[in-house]
Amino acid sequence: MGLLRRIRETGRAAEPAPPRPEGDVPEKARELGGSVQVRCVDAGSCNGCEIEIAAAFNPVYDAERYGARQVASPRHADVALVTGPVTRNMAEPLRRTVAAMGEPRLVVAVGDCAINCGEFAGGHGVEGAVADVVPVDLTVPGCPPEPDAIVAALRRVTGR
Amino acid sequence: MSAIPAALATATTLGGAGALAGLGLPYRLRVPVVGLLTAGAGVAGAAAGVAALGGSRWATDLPGLLPLVGTHLAVDALAGVFMAVAGAVVVAVAVYGVGYAAGHGPHGLGSRTAQAMLPLFALTLVLVPAAASVSTFLVLWELMALVSLLLVLAEHRERASVRQAGVWYAVMTHLGLVLLLAAFALFAARAGGETFAALRAGAHTVSPTVRGLVFVLAGLAFTSKAGAVPLHAWLPRAHPEAPSPVSALMSTAMVNLGVYGLIRTGLDLLGGGPAWWWLGLIAVGGVSAVYGILQAAMASDLKRLLAYSTSENMGLVFIGVGACGLFTSYGDRPLAALALAAALLHVVNHAAFKALLFCAAGSVVRSTGLRDLDRLGGLRSRMPATAGLFALAALGAVALPPGNGFISEWLLLQSLIHGLQVPGVAVAVVLPLSVALIALSAGIAAAAFVKALGVGFFARPRSPRADGAREAPPLMIAGMGLLAAACVALALVPGLLGDALDRAVSAIGLPGSGALSGGGVRVRLTDISASLSPLWVVAALAVAIMAAVGLPRLYGRRRRRMNARLWDCGGGAPTPRMAYTATSFAEPLQRVFDDVLAPEQDLNVTPVRESAYLVERVRFERRVPDRIEHRLYEPVLRALAGTGRSARRLAGGSVHLYLGYGFVGLVVLLVALAVGW
Repeated sequence: MGLLRRIRETGRAAEPAPPRPEGDVPEKARELGGSVQVRCVDAGSCNGCEIEIAAAFNPVYDAERYGARQVASPRHADVALVTGPVTRNMAEPLRRTVAAMGEPRLVVAVGDCAINCGEFAGGHGVEGAVADVVPVDLTVPGCPPEPDAIVAALRRVTGR
Repeated sequence: MSAIPAALATATTLGGAGALAGLGLPYRLRVPVVGLLTAGAGVAGAAAGVAALGGSRWATDLPGLLPLVGTHLAVDALAGVFMAVAGAVVVAVAVYGVGYAAGHGPHGLGSRTAQAMLPLFALTLVLVPAAASVSTFLVLWELMALVSLLLVLAEHRERASVRQAGVWYAVMTHLGLVLLLAAFALFAARAGGETFAALRAGAHTVSPTVRGLVFVLAGLAFTSKAGAVPLHAWLPRAHPEAPSPVSALMSTAMVNLGVYGLIRTGLDLLGGGPAWWWLGLIAVGGVSAVYGILQAAMASDLKRLLAYSTSENMGLVFIGVGACGLFTSYGDRPLAALALAAALLHVVNHAAFKALLFCAAGSVVRSTGLRDLDRLGGLRSRMPATAGLFALAALGAVALPPGNGFISEWLLLQSLIHGLQVPGVAVAVVLPLSVALIALSAGIAAAAFVKALGVGFFARPRSPRADGAREAPPLMIAGMGLLAAACVALALVPGLLGDALDRAVSAIGLPGSGALSGGGVRVRLTDISASLSPLWVVAALAVAIMAAVGLPRLYGRRRRRMNARLWDCGGGAPTPRMAYTATSFAEPLQRVFDDVLAPEQDLNVTPVRESAYLVERVRFERRVPDRIEHRLYEPVLRALAGTGRSARRLAGGSVHLYLGYGFVGLVVLLVALAVGW
């Protein structure tokens, strides 16, 4: 009973939905019909972006209400959320992860490091940006990007 | 003129000739000739059994054959069941054994001793049920034990563990013989005769206490032979270490004779008894069933797994025999007949699938030299015929519908469930409990055989030897094919055995159960309203499986197919070492039954010399010991060793002391005689 009361008292935690982000739905994402399964790949991130991604799926930002859902295997996924500069050890696993996803598939590079290696550019363990390893469809700039920005990018994919 | 004496004489001649051929012929000729003669003896034995099951009886006395007492032989339908099963298994195993021993060199099973013993063993297996007096029975029984001991030791040069297993087997089988001797000597002395006919006639004059003692002693001996808990310790040692054809014979035909002895003594010679006998037997059967299959589910040695599963199945049979005795003591004879028919049918079914399992395991051992499931794997593509036959037999062993074990366990459960109408507190407590134990053992059996088949034959090979496995030679596959045909026939049309089982049950004075009437296709129980059509069950299952496999293929063809790399978490292809092993498969079950199994584990952490915090090596070891053996045998062995050590002090090495012993002994004897005995 205590749990039910807590639920009633808390009410709705999610913020009101912001307006639809600008920009078209990418060509490939149209086939997905507004329901997108997301697999996160940490290619060498400092974990800042991971915290923001976790926040994007929490009850406050609630990315799931727009049709994006996290899954545990690339075999189930339509979208790869890749964070961090791609390290040497993660370059091949990243390629295999993207190859393991069914078509149509999209790659979203989250954070400055994923876009241009950010702080770690030129490091000896860094292979390059995500776009150097796999084709990237969308980018979310920021160090780290705010959950709002991540949700906005996912909404562009789902179109909702 | 009955066909039985001719068949038995043929079997004896061929068996004897086989033993001589094994001794005399050179290696090249030895194996095929002995195999042929053994198979002939098996055919003759099976023919005698089938003739007895067909309704003919035969008895004879051969006064000159054994000194003082002579030999008494008699064959009725009950003996016929065990004779026919033993003969049939011998035929298949003899064919298989030729392939097994050929090309293996003149050691192990191909050696002179082993080849001479194999036909003798087959012969004693067929002849023991024909014995009709205590002395004949015990002579044949002991001959069977000795010959099988020599066969267990056949590979003693290759593995030291064989010798240890041989010692265990020799000690325990002779312990059983001593118990049996005591029981029969007591019985024969009180009943006034040593032929089975005299025992049967005199059983009513024996006091209830003596009858109880005879039953307990003989019961211990016979359940030990059948591998039931707690005197089972020899079975999981001797059966894995014997050459596989011998394991197949021992684990089917020989353990069956334990059941035969118990039925013959308890239900026939003693003529049934009070309820406590049978409650005790049901308890032994129930504990054996669950404990045996639990140990089988934990075992990672393929043949040890099968040996423990024998313990389980014999436990189920003893539940059936116990239920039969219990119902008889309460006067419900139709139900007793049903329980006994179920037990006998399970004996037949178990012999078919277990012989096939041991033979298939033997093919694996012969080809890879490995019994350890953790190091096998990948055999399905390398030994397809063996893998298929093993799968067929495993289906019988798990007691699920298309397999042959299902029907006998179903009959057993029916008899137990309908036994609740029998009045009595003990019945009301014991029968539901044994139903639960049977259900539990069937569930664990499924886990054990999924493990044996899935880990041992599927996936990828986990060692180079498993990788290099090759299919067994045609003769071995032919032998296994005979057993597989028996399994399939028993699964599809068990009703064909109906009349034979009825005669076997009525041989000990119970009314025919009619359990398997209905012309083979249908199993109908006449006294209680229940029926089952194995053929239709199998047909329905086959249609369902074909639909499940075929329909998606029919509709899925339009889609484009593409090949993709296996998803390996991005970290590179998984190695065979990452595959599920038998140990890891059994681990969850082991946790569930932690209190019963009491696994022991050792964790040895060796730090580097400079620092206690840096670890150089970690060694982890986990064993699942046989707990009953641990608790029951080790104190006895310790006490024996202690007695031996203290007795050594008597022999101090002084001649005066020894002369003194002689003198004291003489004086004590004279005093005893003088006082007057």
